[in-house]
Amino acid sequence: MIKDIDKNKGNDNDITRLLDNEPVGNTVQVVHVMGDGAFRQRLLEMGFVRGAQVTVLKNAPLLDPVEYMIMGSHISLRHSEAAQVEVTDKDAEFCDMEDAFNGVVETQVAGVDPMADNVLRVVLVGNPNCGKTSLFNNVTGAKEKVGNYGGVTVDSKEGWFSMGGRKVQLVDLPGTYSLTEYSPEEMYVRTYIRDNRPDAILNIVDAGNLERNLYLTTQIMDMNIPMVVALNMWDELEKSGDKLDIEMMSRLLGARMVPLTAYNGHGVKEVLQATMDAIDESEQDTRHHNVNYGTLIEDSLKELGALCPDLDRYTVLKIIENDQHAIELASRQENAAQVQDTAARMRQHIERDYNDDIVSIITDLKYGFVRGALAEALTPNPNRATGVTKPGYSLDRLLTNRWLALPILLVLMWLMFEATFTLGAYPQDWIESGIEWIGNWIGHVMPDGILKDLIVDGIIGGVGGVLVFLPQILILFFCISLLEDSGYMARAAFIVDRIMHRVGLHGKSFIPYLIGFGCGVPAIMATRTLENRRDRLVTILTVPFMSCSARLPAYLLLVAAFFTAYQGLILMSIYLVGILVAALTAILLSKTVLKHDKTQFVMELPPYRRPTARNATIHMWSKGKQYLQKMATIILAASIIVWALGYFPRHEGQTPQEQIENSFMGQMGKAIEPLVEPLGFNWQMGVSVLTGAAAKEIVVSTMGVLYTGETDANEESTSLKQKLQSATKPNGEHVFNPIVAYSFMLFILLYFPCIAALAAIKREAGWKWVAFEVIYTTGVAWVVSFLFYQIATRL
Amino acid sequence: MSTYSIMETIVVLGIVAVALVYVLRRVIKTSRGKGDCGCGCGKDCQCNHKPVKKY
Repeated sequence: MIKDIDKNKGNDNDITRLLDNEPVGNTVQVVHVMGDGAFRQRLLEMGFVRGAQVTVLKNAPLLDPVEYMIMGSHISLRHSEAAQVEVTDKDAEFCDMEDAFNGVVETQVAGVDPMADNVLRVVLVGNPNCGKTSLFNNVTGAKEKVGNYGGVTVDSKEGWFSMGGRKVQLVDLPGTYSLTEYSPEEMYVRTYIRDNRPDAILNIVDAGNLERNLYLTTQIMDMNIPMVVALNMWDELEKSGDKLDIEMMSRLLGARMVPLTAYNGHGVKEVLQATMDAIDESEQDTRHHNVNYGTLIEDSLKELGALCPDLDRYTVLKIIENDQHAIELASRQENAAQVQDTAARMRQHIERDYNDDIVSIITDLKYGFVRGALAEALTPNPNRATGVTKPGYSLDRLLTNRWLALPILLVLMWLMFEATFTLGAYPQDWIESGIEWIGNWIGHVMPDGILKDLIVDGIIGGVGGVLVFLPQILILFFCISLLEDSGYMARAAFIVDRIMHRVGLHGKSFIPYLIGFGCGVPAIMATRTLENRRDRLVTILTVPFMSCSARLPAYLLLVAAFFTAYQGLILMSIYLVGILVAALTAILLSKTVLKHDKTQFVMELPPYRRPTARNATIHMWSKGKQYLQKMATIILAASIIVWALGYFPRHEGQTPQEQIENSFMGQMGKAIEPLVEPLGFNWQMGVSVLTGAAAKEIVVSTMGVLYTGETDANEESTSLKQKLQSATKPNGEHVFNPIVAYSFMLFILLYFPCIAALAAIKREAGWKWVAFEVIYTTGVAWVVSFLFYQIATRL
Repeated sequence: MSTYSIMETIVVLGIVAVALVYVLRRVIKTSRGKGDCGCGCGKDCQCNHKPVKKY
């Protein structure tokens, strides 16, 4: 099978060379992946196996990383990482992968009663970005986040559906390339399946990339759990002109295969029906198909399996592979020492016989099985577009062009923020007029008194002040959704990867940062995909600098009120300052308290897809709904409390201005005023940032309540924007000007995150880091705002 | 102080008390790691309060 290349000689061998030296456009064949551990395993899983062809597509704008195409997938690797892959000419004959195809062996599995625990449980398992969450949402009616990049789902999501009168729990698991022990998502999925033993596994595969996706399927086959394979993105396979003989493929795998297009729901019912049928069949004794690894390994599996009859074939194979978690399971056996000795002897024998390490051998054999099966069942369209001939590649060349990529990224960001302002201004005016009208109407029909003050100043002033920004929130999330669904966001990670690497951030940190622009809580949870604890901590502690959507109303209010031109650019500059501070913090942390070696990272670049208005609208509406729910709950309640603190105690004969200054809120504000005065803030602004601890939108609602109190009793109520523009200090000077407004925005951007985000940090990192985060972020916010205000006022 | 004013004050103080209890409960829940999936129940994201879709 393996002919003339000695892998242990590395690049001394004159017919092999290293992948990082290959010029753009070259296609070569993989010989060997050097090194060991998680990164090597990840490369093997992603298809860097003996004999696989790799094409060098292009360098990123900053020359690192490099985009490669392997098994139809686009992979981003840094030069230092590509240097671990030995390659040779694409036509060199040293390995025939189809030799590794030995067909299947059958295992007798005893029938089980699926309703034994009164609930049917089906789990979704598949590669990252293959459409699991789209199917989950479609089946259960949930609205979990989906994106055209991997790593969106980081823990299990549960939903329910019923079919034929039976209620089924559907569990969406994180995407994984394999079920080994090298990364958190792999371990999570593996442990979940082992501990919960589902009634069926619904394996979602990308029909357009079967070779890579079916690798995971071969591992699931060994678990001997009823399985259905859903061929997602079936429409893309049909469009490509490839023909798949589903019957034959199902026979080979011993599992039902059903075409599916999850995003529009085509085939969902058939997939669920096939799953229910597979569960029903499992009540009887059945014969499961497993990959045939050849006589030597099959004999070893039989011998070792006989020593530990309680363990499934998957675990027995893992024991031979020297997988520590499988060995730990084996150690609970009475004959643990015998099992381990036998496994070690077998491993040595197999490695000697195949002249390779055990992990590579098993991976090669699994890929050999997949290739052999596809050679039987798949008829590729000879004219199928791949790599540079794919539609959208010319657009990709422009978007990732060495000189244009970064300017295009900045222009797209600017367009997004500009659209938020210009398009959002019209509906904002309508909502503002509506709120004003309601306020005036209530003011006229209700008799003067405490209840009227609560409704007009507290509720309408507080909640209304935040509600007016709903259109902008919807527009911004519509634009972000379009960029995410198109696949551009993953390219943005490719473009800026070198910069992230330089500042000590892991490539995987990009996804939490991206999610952080929406909300910090899921972003902090998304760091779970980072293997190294120090990488995780650096990302967790810097994610809050990515400005979340809850801070947006404050920026929109202040930019609209105090900047008449370049509003989109000013808003964008706030986001860029957040990114810059995150980068500087990452450098500081990774060079001091969280010093560590840089970990390697391989990223898959998803294909470009035409974003659909339906998906973007669903995403936008879900964000809008969350925003409205927050209005009706926490913001409403907080506005009432802020109003009460600003209303009591009452003193006869005082002006509204004096009244609010002598209130509980006023006294609190005056106490902290010396701290915020050097930043250009008054006490109302100081109090607003404090109340923002519960939720950042409350900064605006607090200002809405506090500045309503300043309105003259006879004055018709005006918008919060106008009130801020006309607010004056006792000496007659305006409280706000563009410098104060920008300084205030900087503080809101950088100071400590809300309680929900701090709770997430506590869960993921512990109290010590929560304390650090509160002190550090607030310190940074104070210093940055202070420097900006003091310098800008002197210029 | 008229009866109406007294009644009005009681109602307003009641609303403020409810708001205070709500915010405190929410803050305590959040700090214990209970998020909100947006279904309105105020429990965490695994509350499964979503309707069961039938096929």
